Amino acid sequence: MTARKSGSRLETEIERCRSECQWDKIPELVRQLSAKLISNDDLGELLLGECKLQTYLKENPIKQGASPRGPRPKLVEVRKHLTAALDRGNLKPDYLQEASLLMAKLCYVEGEYRDALGHYSRVSLDDMQLAGAPVYRLSMIAEAYATKGLCLEKVPAASPSLTNKNTGSPLSNRSTTEREQEIITCYEKSGDIALLYLQEAEKALSAGIQNRSPKPGPTAQDQELGYFLETGLQRAHVIHFKNGNLTQGVGRFREILRAVETRTTQNLRMTIARQLAEILLRGMCEQSYWSPLEDPPTVSPLDDPTRQGHTHSKNYSLSRRPRVYSGENLFCPQENTEEALLLLLISESMANRDAVLSRIPEHNNDRIISLQSASVVYDLLTIALGRRGQYEMLSECLERAMKFAFEEFHLWYQLALSLMAAGKSARAVKVLKECIRLKPDDPTIPLLAVKLCIGPLHWLDEGECFAKMVIDMGEKAAEFRAKGYLAIGLVYSLKATDASLRSTQEDYQRKALGAFQRAQSLSPTDHLAAFYLALQLAVSRQIPEALGYVRQALQLQGDDVHSLHLLALLLSAQKHYHDGLNIIEMALSEYPENFNLLYTKVKLEAMCRGPEEALLTCKHMLQIWKSFYNLTNPSDSGRGSSLLDRAIADRRQLNAMTLPDFSDPETGSVHATSIAASRVEQALSEVASSLQSSAPKHGPLHPWMTLAQIWLHAAEVYIGMSKPAEATACTQEAANLFPTSHNVLYMRGQIAELRGNIDEAKRWYEEALSINPTHVKTMQRLGLILHQLQRYSLSEKVLRDAVQVNSTAHDVWNSLGEVLQAQGNAAAATECFLTALELEASSPILPFTIIPRAL
Amino acid sequence: MLAMDQGVVEEWLSEFKTLPDSAVSTYAASLKEKGSLVPALYKVIRENYSDLLEPVCHQLFEFYRSGEPQLQRFTLQFLPELLWSLLSVSAARDPHTSGCIEALLLGIYNLEIVDKDGQSKVLSFTVPSLCKPSVYHEPSAIGSMALTEGALANHGLSRVVYSGPHLQRETFTAQNRFEVLTFLLLCYNAALSYMTSTSLQSLCQLSSRVCICGYPRQQMRRYKGISTRLTVTSEFLVQLITGIHYALCNGEVELGSKALDDVLYRAQLELFPEALLVGNAIKSSLHGAALKSNNKEGARSIQVEITPTSSRISRNAVTSLSIRGHRWKRHDAVDLGSPDELMDISELDEGVWPGGVGPDMTPPTITISNSVTTLNLGAKAMKKCRLGGRTSKDKDKEAGPLTTGRAASENTELSVKRLTLTSSQSVPKAGALTSLTRTASAVFSRSFEQVASGNAPPASNHTASEAGRYSCSLQEEGLGYLSPAPNHTQRSPSISVHLGSDL
Repeated sequence: MTARKSGSRLETEIERCRSECQWDKIPELVRQLSAKLISNDDLGELLLGECKLQTYLKENPIKQGASPRGPRPKLVEVRKHLTAALDRGNLKPDYLQEASLLMAKLCYVEGEYRDALGHYSRVSLDDMQLAGAPVYRLSMIAEAYATKGLCLEKVPAASPSLTNKNTGSPLSNRSTTEREQEIITCYEKSGDIALLYLQEAEKALSAGIQNRSPKPGPTAQDQELGYFLETGLQRAHVIHFKNGNLTQGVGRFREILRAVETRTTQNLRMTIARQLAEILLRGMCEQSYWSPLEDPPTVSPLDDPTRQGHTHSKNYSLSRRPRVYSGENLFCPQENTEEALLLLLISESMANRDAVLSRIPEHNNDRIISLQSASVVYDLLTIALGRRGQYEMLSECLERAMKFAFEEFHLWYQLALSLMAAGKSARAVKVLKECIRLKPDDPTIPLLAVKLCIGPLHWLDEGECFAKMVIDMGEKAAEFRAKGYLAIGLVYSLKATDASLRSTQEDYQRKALGAFQRAQSLSPTDHLAAFYLALQLAVSRQIPEALGYVRQALQLQGDDVHSLHLLALLLSAQKHYHDGLNIIEMALSEYPENFNLLYTKVKLEAMCRGPEEALLTCKHMLQIWKSFYNLTNPSDSGRGSSLLDRAIADRRQLNAMTLPDFSDPETGSVHATSIAASRVEQALSEVASSLQSSAPKHGPLHPWMTLAQIWLHAAEVYIGMSKPAEATACTQEAANLFPTSHNVLYMRGQIAELRGNIDEAKRWYEEALSINPTHVKTMQRLGLILHQLQRYSLSEKVLRDAVQVNSTAHDVWNSLGEVLQAQGNAAAATECFLTALELEASSPILPFTIIPRAL
Repeated sequence: MLAMDQGVVEEWLSEFKTLPDSAVSTYAASLKEKGSLVPALYKVIRENYSDLLEPVCHQLFEFYRSGEPQLQRFTLQFLPELLWSLLSVSAARDPHTSGCIEALLLGIYNLEIVDKDGQSKVLSFTVPSLCKPSVYHEPSAIGSMALTEGALANHGLSRVVYSGPHLQRETFTAQNRFEVLTFLLLCYNAALSYMTSTSLQSLCQLSSRVCICGYPRQQMRRYKGISTRLTVTSEFLVQLITGIHYALCNGEVELGSKALDDVLYRAQLELFPEALLVGNAIKSSLHGAALKSNNKEGARSIQVEITPTSSRISRNAVTSLSIRGHRWKRHDAVDLGSPDELMDISELDEGVWPGGVGPDMTPPTITISNSVTTLNLGAKAMKKCRLGGRTSKDKDKEAGPLTTGRAASENTELSVKRLTLTSSQSVPKAGALTSLTRTASAVFSRSFEQVASGNAPPASNHTASEAGRYSCSLQEEGLGYLSPAPNHTQRSPSISVHLGSDL
């Protein structure tokens, strides 16, 4: 560095050092300069003054909110240099201006605001050239505007309005307004020029690095903005918001964000993006929104009405503005959620970058800071995406938050909930487990896990574990204790349905009953407890008791669809078919689109009013199905169009699916053996529900499944009418959708029987059983056919298996009795007939288990 | 109801009828000035049996139908009160139903679900993506981190429907009630900025009551109205929360936070993940935010301070950004030269285990690093290991028990040595072994190194691949999952290597 430099090269070097704020190098350069050109002594004074002032400010930074006070001894020297430079007047006009600006800055630092303003008015800031100015001067001008704004805020507005003192308040009021406007304009100009400066500085730096590669320049991260530029960049919008002037504040935010990012502004952008997103989510709505490229509305409900009229319009222009993002096909948000999301995604990417990963104690503070800034962003993302029902995307975002999540309950819990809302049940349960570990006292978490285990996952053992956790909390679980018993009751109840041994079945039924009774006594006003108690009693064929509880449930919740359905089935079990039908019709008036109720209605109508009525209901169901799923919208493309469109897209996969038991469509509770078959269905419904969360979640699993079920019901009615041709046509419709469904095959078998083709029927039944080996109805029909074919022992075997699967199927007992009788086993046959008789007396028109069991 | 209020309402009822079409917008603007009108209308709605209710509902519907935004907002401000009226009556199973309120609400719903041409309206929005340039960013500046698999899968912007299409409804049923009400709240939320504080308060009250009636908390809140439980849906609660959030941030701190608590309470009892998710997020995001600035004038609590622009995170802390370069350096060493190898990796990515593998084969679970890349490479190394293992067995067939015995004894020696190893030991550069060591992750390479140094002298006449062979078989034994059975002549040449998570 001691090597002598030629004049111009030295000047470039000085300019570079000033631009890069390398003040420590200036004195040496000034020494070289003065050795070279004696006439430039004044420039030397200017440079020394500047470098000493900047060094002082670096060592004694001004804090936001604190005002500088009084002269400092260290600054005396600075003043001496600058006065020398200014007084002699030998400087070029550019340098003279710079000296004045530095002098004004010094005045501000010493608290001499009026003097500072005096200097600024002499320089006439607005005339300073931005185009072609060296980088450091841009920073100087930006600082000057900020300092001027600061001074104007400090100096009371009294002085100019003194003359108007007698003319009354309106005028002086106007002058305060004007002054406020002037202050804001100063800051806005300062901010704009500061952004320009930072962009230019970065450009110069990267060019510099390329030019002199071996010499490592200071890393750009070392560059800090300093008090004046920070103020210039932010003070304008702070004032806007303080004045309740939201439109202007938002406008200013957007201007800053639209300027092309530099490394130094990254943190600022992250903060501002988050703040703007907050405002968009907390203080705006769809109707009061305007897009970033539109002019703000002249009257907006967002602005403080008491200060209406104080709004300022931007009334300045700069000869050079910071570069903004531009190009073709630039995405510009058109809605407040869109803009909030875009901003949050940008903030998120930055917050994520800053995630402190090391866990050593020294970095504790850093970790807390990075966690806090990230979790604010994730919370806002949750609010924005939750509003729009985009849980799938939300779960992906929150998954990215996991690098912050070690031992952080809130993040884990939110991830679990988002997975649950997005229909990713299995993962949700895993994450919930971690939540339970972090917060073992909260009964909601295990209950959420049970809900998933009982519902979409059918993980009954896991569900039992979670439910026991809640029960073990005892009194601590408070209102959730009853829910815990309800949950474990449901687990047992479902286990009973799955169990293949009669003794286990009965054991679980007893346990379920006990749990429901406990839940009901703990929470007598909960209709669900009463309802599930009734359902469990009904399943164990205690019809009068069940009726009592279902009435109780209905008193608590008069329009609960499942209670009404159960009541109708209970009445049908008592053979009061007309009463049951009345109840169903009443329930349908409240739930006209509930297919489960409609299936029962078809059965009851066929029984009470003849098959023609039942067929009409089937037709009605088809119409409902069409109007329900056929709401297409042609203008809408991509994800999330109508249900039917999505269903068609899914249709390729339908061949791989089987239909759940249609006459036993345990939507909420699937029998263990049909689970494998229904896995695909579940996967599919998860896809469907994640595509559009506004889709009816508790509705049928899949629109096509519903359609197939309707056709099969119609087929059954036709079989009842002995019309094989029509029944075949209906079955064919269902087969087109689900060719390998055991229900379709079973129906074909029945049609074949109706036509008298025993062999064909047997083949169909065997095929149905190969798909679902525990389909009781098929087993019963097959048993009968084998009986007809006089293959008694095989028939007996099939029927005994069927009884094992479902011990309450009275027709199976009856068939078994017949087979035993044919084999000459009269005693056993009698017993079977008696059982059948007994069961028939309490048999509902459709199994009670068609009512879904879910938490 | 005071006669004065009645007078105000009656005047309001009559004046709109005589209004010429041209004067509608000025009339709409003038409604604000009638200070006593809005409270009087609230009274009418609250008193279910008022004679004025029917004409008022009719008039409010006329306002909405006029299409004039200000008039529509005038009607919308009563929505929370109307909803409560409807819900409380239906819960009380009062035969004296408020048919006119139902008609008004259904009317608004049926107007809102169609567009100007009478087509079903679908509310959609664009999900922004960082992959596409926007007015606020450039994809290149974001860096590769944000471009996750998910982001790339939805490359570009996608339009997502968040409400609709909806069916026209003639009557309220238990099934469609909340669907309609949720949609109405969505309309209300779209105009939140225009709602008065009275309306926001009414919304908070509605939320509290809907959520706590019939539950033990009702006593705590000392609300004595109906005491039957009202069914709710998760979507309805989410819409309520959106409104509460606005109220909470715009002057209604007390009522708002009470309402939020009540909604969360109910969401917990009902186990609604959606409502819990959004409610928790609001609670947590407001936790630090200053809600103190609650001046009674309904000031907005949106406050912004000057924040330092420099990073608050110290430079020597390991962050995701700083670790990035770190990680890549380590993986640069991995030889991903031939496309063949890359294909292997992608195969493994899809969970397909290449080659004829026995049915009992479980995919290796390697938990050395949480990076996905490492896992794949580990799996690849595993594959190599397996193949190497096969050659080893084939050779063993020829070599007989002698080799096996030697290998076993060496292994015991090795396992001792392995403990004292440091990662600084250099990797012998030799053929297959090198590539193995390179691909394998830490523990692997260490044992391989040791194997190489331990085996090199006695097996000096062996080729490098044989060194690899020893390493593989030893590796297997070291892991303790598989030991060469004495009868390996009958074994299938393919050997499954099970890797536990204890690696």
